[in-house]
Amino acid sequence: MSSALPSAEVALDFKESLQDLQMNNRYEISNLTIIAKENTEHAQAISRVLENHIRTAPPPRKLPALYVLDSIVKNVGTPYTVYLGRNLYSTFMDAYTLVDGQTRKNMEGMLKTWKEPVPGSMDARPVFQPEITRAIENALIKARTAAVHQQQQARTQRQPFALPPRPVASPATPWQNTSTPPQNSSRYAPPPIPDTYQAQYGYRSQQALSQQPAAQYLPRPNSTSTYSNTAYGQVPSPGRDLDMLNDDVARLILAAKTEFAASPYEIGVQQRLKALLDLQTILKGQTLSPESLAAIKAQVAQLSVALQQPPATAAPVVHSTPQPWQPPTPVAQVYQPPPPVSQPHQPPSNLQAPISFPPDILAQLLASASNGQVSTPVPQPALPARPSITLVSESTPTPVPALANGGSSLLDSLRAAGLLPATPEPAAAAPAPAPAPSTHPILPPYLPPQSQNHLQTIGTPPVRHAGLAPPGLAEMRMKISMTSAALKIPRRHIVALLYEAQPNQCTSCGRRFLATSEGREQKARHLDWHFRINQRIADSVNRGHNRSWYVDEMEWIRSRDPDESTMDPNASNDGHNKSAPAERKGPEDQYIPVPTEAALANVNCPICQENFEAVWHDEAQEWVWMDAVKVGGRIYHATCHAEVSNAGGGLVAGRVTPDSTLGKRKAEDELNDLRARLKKDVTAY
Amino acid sequence: MSILPGLGLSAPLAAPPPAQHQSSRVQELQAEAEWRFEVAFGASVKVKLLHGTAELFGTELAPKVTYTFAGTKAAIFTWHGCALEITGECESEYAAEETPMLMYLNVHAALDNMRKGSPTREGPRVLVVGKENAGKTSLVKLLTAYALKSGSRPTVLNLDPREGVLSIPGTLTCTTFASMLDIEDGWGSSPISGPTALPVKTPLVYHFPLESPEEDPKMFKPVATRMALAATSRLEEDPEAKEAGFIIDTPASVSSARGGYENIQHIVSEFSVNQILVLGSERLYNDLTRRFASAPSSKPADEAVNVVRLDVSGGCVERDRAFMKQVREAQIRAYFFGDVRNTLSPSTQVWDFEQLRILRVVDPTAALNPSFLPGDHSSTASSSLPIFESTLPSLQLQNQLLATKHADPADSHPAIRDATVMGFVYVADVDEAKKKVRLLAPSSARVEGRVVVGGSWPEGVGDLVA
Ligand SMILES: [Zn+2]
Ligand SMILES: [Zn+2]
Repeated sequence: MSSALPSAEVALDFKESLQDLQMNNRYEISNLTIIAKENTEHAQAISRVLENHIRTAPPPRKLPALYVLDSIVKNVGTPYTVYLGRNLYSTFMDAYTLVDGQTRKNMEGMLKTWKEPVPGSMDARPVFQPEITRAIENALIKARTAAVHQQQQARTQRQPFALPPRPVASPATPWQNTSTPPQNSSRYAPPPIPDTYQAQYGYRSQQALSQQPAAQYLPRPNSTSTYSNTAYGQVPSPGRDLDMLNDDVARLILAAKTEFAASPYEIGVQQRLKALLDLQTILKGQTLSPESLAAIKAQVAQLSVALQQPPATAAPVVHSTPQPWQPPTPVAQVYQPPPPVSQPHQPPSNLQAPISFPPDILAQLLASASNGQVSTPVPQPALPARPSITLVSESTPTPVPALANGGSSLLDSLRAAGLLPATPEPAAAAPAPAPAPSTHPILPPYLPPQSQNHLQTIGTPPVRHAGLAPPGLAEMRMKISMTSAALKIPRRHIVALLYEAQPNQCTSCGRRFLATSEGREQKARHLDWHFRINQRIADSVNRGHNRSWYVDEMEWIRSRDPDESTMDPNASNDGHNKSAPAERKGPEDQYIPVPTEAALANVNCPICQENFEAVWHDEAQEWVWMDAVKVGGRIYHATCHAEVSNAGGGLVAGRVTPDSTLGKRKAEDELNDLRARLKKDVTAY
Repeated sequence: MSILPGLGLSAPLAAPPPAQHQSSRVQELQAEAEWRFEVAFGASVKVKLLHGTAELFGTELAPKVTYTFAGTKAAIFTWHGCALEITGECESEYAAEETPMLMYLNVHAALDNMRKGSPTREGPRVLVVGKENAGKTSLVKLLTAYALKSGSRPTVLNLDPREGVLSIPGTLTCTTFASMLDIEDGWGSSPISGPTALPVKTPLVYHFPLESPEEDPKMFKPVATRMALAATSRLEEDPEAKEAGFIIDTPASVSSARGGYENIQHIVSEFSVNQILVLGSERLYNDLTRRFASAPSSKPADEAVNVVRLDVSGGCVERDRAFMKQVREAQIRAYFFGDVRNTLSPSTQVWDFEQLRILRVVDPTAALNPSFLPGDHSSTASSSLPIFESTLPSLQLQNQLLATKHADPADSHPAIRDATVMGFVYVADVDEAKKKVRLLAPSSARVEGRVVVGGSWPEGVGDLVA
């Protein structure tokens, strides 16, 4: 639900955060993006603040602010693209004329990405409308031409930027893709550029122009970020604790989002992102007890560590000295705008690629967080407490399971999470990719809110408890409990499961498909189906169709309404009777063309007295009655006829004849049971 | 096959094609806003999604496809922001930013978790209750559409006889949805003999020819029980349906405190409801919580009923009686004549009076008149009161709808009451002098030998056959 804050207040908040933005700090940028995302109702005010800031900030701070703009329009999109698009030309050009050459190159790279769709997005439209970016480009071309002209006139041969492409980032050039803060320039900056008009536009070859952005997006090894170490290396105060935690979570979310963009349909990734966003919501919305806070912190630390570990299949990114089992070492990551799709270098998803931290940790995390959540009374109408609430609040003071054992607990939970080998069986728990959600993860020492029995398992090593329902997954899924309080928490990431996770949309009916090969196959069949159906509709305009009779109970119970639009048309199109074992040419596969004689058009099966339903038969290319056979001039249901003939002609009322195929008979028996129940029930009234 | 003369005039294709000069406009919506609009019957409004994403009660609009709306009050919501091109005049329209969609999304996610996380692969059985115009049916549609998008196949039960689902008013239906809902037509279409642009849905149709369950709980309860048995049997036969569970829509009347929620109690126990979503009403929520969710220790966990209150959308508008009457008429027309995309050709059949045995539901409020007792086919001891009275066609029947049922005329009254519907016929003309009845039937199939049942609901529809 939208916040009740007035725009001015949100804008002020945003402005203050912006003013803290000194350099290209990835997490600060993502933080600002999140603020923007959560306050889209104040988008206009936020956009104005951002534009003002870009205009008034000293030149070295303009680029980070522009990266904020870039991040917002790519990650949030509308309405920001609308508001920021209006003045984009002046926002961009005003800044461009004031910044140094390196920054200009970065800005040009950014502009290039605005002409493309957001990478990994389902939206095929460019970030900004082409008219907007074109106007800026035209201005740049004019300026460039003028510059070249001037250069030629002056016969200046300096080539400040016609350098060969840089090698892969080395620790010596960590800030190459940022603007050049004066105080840092000796350490970080590329050679200072004389601020002459000529130098401003002083690259000459297209090659240099197109190579440069590639270098700009190269990853930076984490360990070189001395800035972040000083910033976070202090002894945390309680208030700072939460801030840091929020920061860490924001950073994890960003990483998860990148991963999500790379593989939007991987459920493990979705769940992780969802869990992190849930956690963030909880952190923001609640006052947490110190214990909960500490517990969450420890868990987040683990995740941060997992994040830093070079994934087995990662791209050849240099991670220097990973420090796996230490408390969090949050790292200021450089914000990297998604590269233009056409760029032949690594997509940013590779940077973060398959980081596998097990969902169990998140389950714990959420468990501890929601414990904390309950410790703060949620404002609610005075009502009898519902069971789930009661149980959880009883366990409120319970420390987070992972911490129950004191010092060794972290190791325990790491073991539980599969990050460390378990003591008894060292081989089993090597770091593995996130388990597929359909498998049961190892039971973490997690306290399910509903069952007090589980209290006994706190702090004990992860052992599968016989007799308990498969844990882990089920409990994780239950985390949105059906209570007014839980339902009021906005969880916008769920939208992605309905949209972004299914990026492959049918343009004629709007239905979405997964981006998996299965999804693509389904979509191909689906499009074929549209085509065939449209042809059939066109062919049958004058046939005079009518509403079919509604089915009876037995038929409905057995009907399946298969999704014909994604079915293999060569597979059997006999929709119902799916419960019977597949037989080759069983009686139910027999069919006859729909009789054209009017007298026969509405004939019933002499055995069961029911009518026949016409279906279009693809192979036969005509309308047929399925499960029908003509014997001695009369038309029967093939199944009815088969039953009767198998029974030796002993005609029993209805379809109660035995000796049909096993599967069918079983189904019949069940249905007859139902029939009996129904009959009995009817007489009860 | 006798195709009606004047079909083109009476079919609901009435919406005139918009004149070429009709100008269109663009409605921009920011993320999480919705465009609420009302289109009169007889008018038409075309909507095209230019960019962004948009959904109508959870069903996504395809980009750049023109959808035509007539006789509707609805809202197009966007999660990501969008621009809509709108052609035609709405009776009323506005963009709104306050919606309960984030809450409803959570409800979907919680249900989705229950579906996919159930160790017994048994989905939630959800009951939606609330007062008049609280948006019950819209929520049921939304939850159904989201479930479909998430790969589930929920079974939707409509217990509101005022409005049909895949059928006409005066019915209660069960439908297991496997394909997307229809943007223009709400739920989609039940099977027809020809091809359809969207896959058809197969409803199981029960007859309840009264305006509300409260008019005759003695009739409602056994029919609901019968429905529950069929629906539960379906779930036992169909693992996918079982995993998705039920979503049950109800008429507002069951939520009135006067009857002591007797019918809600019945629905909850017959359908084994375990999630009750109360739209709006605080009092209803408190009453139902007290009744179903208060004593948790007395019930095993798997039988517990959770009650939760949800916000009502500000977009819920009153649908007055005149509008609802038009909705019912449109549903009845569509049953016989289809819609713009699937034109159907019903047939007329002429019957002699004595060929047609019509059972009418005995008005439960009228004093029982023993002289109306029909020849008693229900000799079982349990059915002492007649449910139906046998009538000959008369002018009174003109313009009425009659149900033909999957039942034998020799069946007992309770059996006939609980039998499902095969189809409906419309009494176009009664000629008392010649003792002939002209019926409009969905197809030329004769309904001889079938039980034909009438009641007081839905009210007669004039000029269905021009
Ligand atoms: Zn399609
Ligand atoms: Zn048969």
